[in-house]
Amino acid sequence: MNAGGRRSISGMHEYETQLAGLYEEYYDKIARYVFIHVGNREEAEDIAGEVFLKALKSLKSYREQGVPMQGWLFRIAHNLTVDYLRQTDRRRTVPIDSVVLVGNDNPIDTAEKNIEFERVTEAMKQLTAEQREVINLRFFGGLTSREVGGVLGKGDGAVREMQRAAIEKLRGILGVET
Amino acid sequence: MMPDDFDRILDECIDRINRGASLADCLSDYPAYSEKLKPLLQSMHDVQKTCAFTPSADSKRAARQRFHAVLDRQRQVSTPSSFFRVIPRSAVWATIAVLIVAAIAVLVIQPVLNPLTVVPSPEGNFAFLVSDEPNDIGDFESLNVTISRVVLQRTGSLKRLEFTPETETVDLTQLQGEQSQEIWRGNVPAEQYSHIYLYVSEVMGKLGSTGQIVDVRLPSNKLQISMLFEVTDDKVTSFTFDITVVATGNNGRYILKPQIGESGARQE
Repeated sequence: MNAGGRRSISGMHEYETQLAGLYEEYYDKIARYVFIHVGNREEAEDIAGEVFLKALKSLKSYREQGVPMQGWLFRIAHNLTVDYLRQTDRRRTVPIDSVVLVGNDNPIDTAEKNIEFERVTEAMKQLTAEQREVINLRFFGGLTSREVGGVLGKGDGAVREMQRAAIEKLRGILGVET
Repeated sequence: MMPDDFDRILDECIDRINRGASLADCLSDYPAYSEKLKPLLQSMHDVQKTCAFTPSADSKRAARQRFHAVLDRQRQVSTPSSFFRVIPRSAVWATIAVLIVAAIAVLVIQPVLNPLTVVPSPEGNFAFLVSDEPNDIGDFESLNVTISRVVLQRTGSLKRLEFTPETETVDLTQLQGEQSQEIWRGNVPAEQYSHIYLYVSEVMGKLGSTGQIVDVRLPSNKLQISMLFEVTDDKVTSFTFDITVVATGNNGRYILKPQIGESGARQE
């Protein structure tokens, strides 16, 4: 990086290469993370694709933030998901029957899975916003606590504490058998 | 045991499970904590299992192609030509500043386009057409598809614009092969787009053999094509959205699908 804080073209190419290298591993994780928020497979896949395009266009803004690139991708995913939810809420276009986890299974199994999915997402809503984000990023995004701390601007100790409290609360709500 | 110790152990187990380790492996490594760890890790496992979702290979592949197409284009633009290398940096920045001012001036005098809903215009820079790739269309005497709206999504953004077709209902039996029908023409912002969605409100199919009205369904309430295309101000971009009807077996049911290979944009 030069004295003006601007990254050279070869430096930008390094970032582009790094981003391309993350695609295979993180596309699925980001899609899962988004899916928990939007409850629609196709939209989750679309948004996951848009995350990488948005990242590519915004690479210049990445350099100063000091967050690992995968954490930065989840920040973008979070922002795009919030935008999506605002749009769909305003336009009321999300079909209720679009929350389909498994398309071609036995209809009874599919219905049961959808009910269970709804039960879990309802339980997640009872967590604090930060606890929910920790669980989403850890369980579905597959980030480490340190990376989650980078995304949320928290120390990893605070993330671990929120994580334990969140799981205990979920367990209490869902009444998981042990 | 300090609470922070337990939090660390739980955290480590979650990391290991995320990397593919089994719950039993984690518990066996921490026998002193297993009674407290087990219910929490079991909850994690149950929540992950309930919400398991694997994106389709097709979507991932299409997104990868779009990503690399934009990456290639970005690299071509960002690589300075030898011409720029020999010009002093100050001159390059001065030129860029002039271009930015000129671009702002152009934007200010351009008519403002509503970013959400665009209106039709016979002189527009974008035409939207529908066509039918013949598969099982021969079974039908008529197959009327009513399209309530069309949505375009810009590349690298969730910003979408939409329009209502001027011709809402098309009969796919009349649009086979090279045949197509323009259902909207108007001005859309000159940008690159990555997705196009067709929202279908009604499908009415009449079989040629019996005259019976049959059930024709969509996988959801919309048909979607993911494809990069660019709209410019100086040319008319015509996008043809190809739809095909396919029998789902011998049960008399049919589905409508987008035919990506036959769809696409061209500029005149």
